[in-house]
Amino acid sequence: MKKLILAAAAAILLSGAAYADVIKIGVVGPFSGPFAIQGKNFKAGIDAYIATHGNKVGNDTIEVLYRDVPQADPAQSKALAQELVVKEGVQYLAGFYFTPDAMAVTPLLQQANVPLVVMNAATSAIVTKSPYVVRTSFTTWQTSAPMAKIARERGVEKAITVVSDYGPGVDAENAFKTTFEKEGGKVVESIRMPLSTNDFSPIMQRVRNSGAQAVFAFLPSGPTTLGFVKAYNENGLKEAGVQFLAPGDLTQESDLPALGDAALGILTTFHYAIAHDSPENRAFVEAARKAIGNPAELSFPSVGAYDGMHVIYKMIEATGGKQDAKKAVDAVKGLAWESPRGPVSIDPETRHITQNIYLREVAKGSDGAYYNKEIKTFEKQPDPGLAAAK
Amino acid sequence: MQVFFSIGVDALAYGMVLFIISIGLSVTMGLMRVVNLAHGAFAMIGGYIASYAARDLGLPYGFAIILAVIGTIIIAIPLERFLYRRIYGAPELTQVLMTIGITFCVIGLANYVFGPTLKTIPLPAELQGPVNLGFRTIAAHKLFAIGCGVVVALGLWFLIERTSFGVKLRASVDNTAMAASLGVRTRIVYAASFALAVGLAAFGGVIGAELLPVEPYYALRYMVTFLVVVSVGGAGSIPGALIACLLLGAIDTTGRYLVPEYGEFFFYLAVIAIVWVFPRGLLGRAK
Amino acid sequence: MSATEISAPFEQAKPMRRPWQRDLAGVLIIGVAAVAGYFLFPDNLALLTRIIAIMLLVLSLDLVTGYCGVATLGHAALFGAGAYAAGIAAVTFGITEPLSMVAIGAIAGAVAGLVSGVVILRGHGLAQLVLSIAVIHLFHEAANKASTYTGGSDGLSGIAPDPVFGLFAFDLWGRTAYVFGIGLLILVFVLLRILVRSPFGTLCRGIRQDPIRVSAMGASVKASLIKMYVISGAVAGVGGALNAVSTQVVGLDSLSFTNSAEALVMLVLGGAGSLYGALVGTIVFMWFEHVVSAANPFHWLTIVGALLIAVVLFAPKGLYGTAVTLMKRFIGSRQ
Repeated sequence: MKKLILAAAAAILLSGAAYADVIKIGVVGPFSGPFAIQGKNFKAGIDAYIATHGNKVGNDTIEVLYRDVPQADPAQSKALAQELVVKEGVQYLAGFYFTPDAMAVTPLLQQANVPLVVMNAATSAIVTKSPYVVRTSFTTWQTSAPMAKIARERGVEKAITVVSDYGPGVDAENAFKTTFEKEGGKVVESIRMPLSTNDFSPIMQRVRNSGAQAVFAFLPSGPTTLGFVKAYNENGLKEAGVQFLAPGDLTQESDLPALGDAALGILTTFHYAIAHDSPENRAFVEAARKAIGNPAELSFPSVGAYDGMHVIYKMIEATGGKQDAKKAVDAVKGLAWESPRGPVSIDPETRHITQNIYLREVAKGSDGAYYNKEIKTFEKQPDPGLAAAK
Repeated sequence: MQVFFSIGVDALAYGMVLFIISIGLSVTMGLMRVVNLAHGAFAMIGGYIASYAARDLGLPYGFAIILAVIGTIIIAIPLERFLYRRIYGAPELTQVLMTIGITFCVIGLANYVFGPTLKTIPLPAELQGPVNLGFRTIAAHKLFAIGCGVVVALGLWFLIERTSFGVKLRASVDNTAMAASLGVRTRIVYAASFALAVGLAAFGGVIGAELLPVEPYYALRYMVTFLVVVSVGGAGSIPGALIACLLLGAIDTTGRYLVPEYGEFFFYLAVIAIVWVFPRGLLGRAK
Repeated sequence: MSATEISAPFEQAKPMRRPWQRDLAGVLIIGVAAVAGYFLFPDNLALLTRIIAIMLLVLSLDLVTGYCGVATLGHAALFGAGAYAAGIAAVTFGITEPLSMVAIGAIAGAVAGLVSGVVILRGHGLAQLVLSIAVIHLFHEAANKASTYTGGSDGLSGIAPDPVFGLFAFDLWGRTAYVFGIGLLILVFVLLRILVRSPFGTLCRGIRQDPIRVSAMGASVKASLIKMYVISGAVAGVGGALNAVSTQVVGLDSLSFTNSAEALVMLVLGGAGSLYGALVGTIVFMWFEHVVSAANPFHWLTIVGALLIAVVLFAPKGLYGTAVTLMKRFIGSRQ
């Protein structure tokens, strides 16, 4: 105890400002394991924000602590969040790539007096679990529903949905189906396939036999998307003119070099493309690429993390560095700013981010690199998922 | 009828890819009696070497395959000398612990050296794109994989059943002490068959990379699949492994075509049913 | 399976003491360690409670793998069944009394143990491993499909257990959960010590060493093993229920192959065939993982891999087994 007081005294003397505090932010994400690349993107987005905005808010210094949950593991996630709160004394919890990990933490927030800023997990219901949850990423409903409108605009009458059989996949299927049928189209078949599927050839044969003009697909970002896109080409669906539609998880930038020519022409709707053309985004991409080391690894979770830090900085400003979760969350309700992805705001009702959703096409740049080329914008999209759940 | 043929072609291709990757494991588990959970790690190392050779150095595909097989064997030699030699004949659980440890290390190192992104192995122009079979199209590389599978199966069968090396290998496995006293240098035989198994893993990793893409978690992601096909076939039996791969490939493909929602149930219930009927694997030898 | 035969010589080493005295000593050691853990790591109680839950899983695995020689990579099915049963009881049926939740978990675990025992015991050696892998995947897929009850891949959240005995509420610091967990662990440990020393426990050990001789003696090998599987399921189910009660959430990972494989690694690490080995292996593995992954989340897997290899090379009987051997040698050299 004596040591602690001495250390604290030394810290105060050294910093020179009597009221300066260290404000800790605990970030939980997959930093090892099969999804390590997404955790790396969290860290890159956070580092980029600190690099461009400094590590101080007022007199307070920001310190970020990282905790690793390699795969969806709610119990582990909760234990780590609890430890961050009681042992490390963090004032803010952030990160969370998987929905169950975020859900597990929500019961803690009220008692711990800590806001949670979700930087990725994309199931609509998370924000309803606690009034202290703010989300700066997207929901699967938000990114999938506009695709149904695109399909109708392009004259697709009959579509087939193919999704991985787990929460987000089912969300994507419902989002597309609901919107598509509301717009007067018909979903002829809905296929749910196990997450462990390696060979997609039989699925593509079914798509072909269904007579649909377009296939709407959702798979988690990562290795399986490669096999899926290749199977689409190799089974002659591309030649047959069956249009490939998907939310942008399928063509995340870090997978594009591997997908290569096979992905050319795929249409996706998403909230963010690294190729987005704006001064804010150019500055962000430069800083984030420096932070992540290998520029090819940069992907969408980085922008969720970057904007999440923006929200946290605003919360710290509003509370003057004092721990007050309610005040912090109230301060960012309705907050609007220019994000690297375009204009965004926090919906005061749902505490979810309202943002533009872009229609993109995979294209090859003059330098031979593949990128998501934005060709159409749906402005200020809220999350339709919550309304649908009611 | 067309559906039947269509499923058949996919099943054959998938089964053959499984066969090429897992037959090496059948050699280590069945003949050398080592539960080598690091088998997938060696397949992955092969994939990385081939990817580096073909994509980054621009070497031709065939050359990349050879480089991958040789490179993986070179990496595996010190592992055999210092680690595997300690667990020949050890209890299964000890072998599991050691080989899982090796797998973790390989994953960590691959992540560090090559990064977490997917690595592709560019195919030559002849193997790219679809081939029209009349009733449907199929990827050219799948036909290539089927061909490779047939060659590997025949070659291995010949090596083990018809050459003096095969005789020595079987002798060393059945009774190491007796074989050694008859003048068989069992250590060298073991090292050679380990190299063979690792080389096959690397070869399979490269050929199968179109279906099972190369990334750091390859080594764990497909480990269960390899273990299942080898055990269902009966470890150590080459025809057994071939039949198991084709059968399970067919079950898996049919399941995913007809009832994708229950694909996982379909596959594992079939596995239980097969093992129920053949408790030692399809063509496993009685102990 | 010579690695599993370590507890027998240890017991012979001190023939003078009565067995119940040694058990009392074991309980005392656990109690002292528990109190030390409470005061030394007051901010890590959530982690410690998770370790206790996994200890119960590893103890349960030890019963079938260490004592009966059944190799399985699907033991999390029993643990997950307990966790989901307790969770569903609380969320869907409103049974939020913690001890009832644990009892429900134990029953569900025992049923899952019966089912997987019947399937897994059909095979031998490798085939047995594969059956266990199939079982865990079927359980996992079933839980994914039954998302109305289990929440599917989003996890089952909203479990809100009542205070223990109506007095001690589950708090943010995890104190209640920790004490609750220690209580369960000591209870289970005592029961298991009695079990493994009973004639039935000895019979199971005999089965591991020579099943043919046991059946020649007129005992039914299969029935004994299935009985042990059911008991093992109840133990794992208690662990799963503890996990559900203390973390108030259940995810599909509790029914995963990874969870099963990790439990097996912990058991072999500590030393199979001894209850103490199971406890030691779990603590060492999970604590090591926690420390290394917090220190360097980006490269900890390599270090854990190196630890496993080192254990096989330098402590082939597992940590506990090797420690016992060393101690015996030390005592032997002094006499």
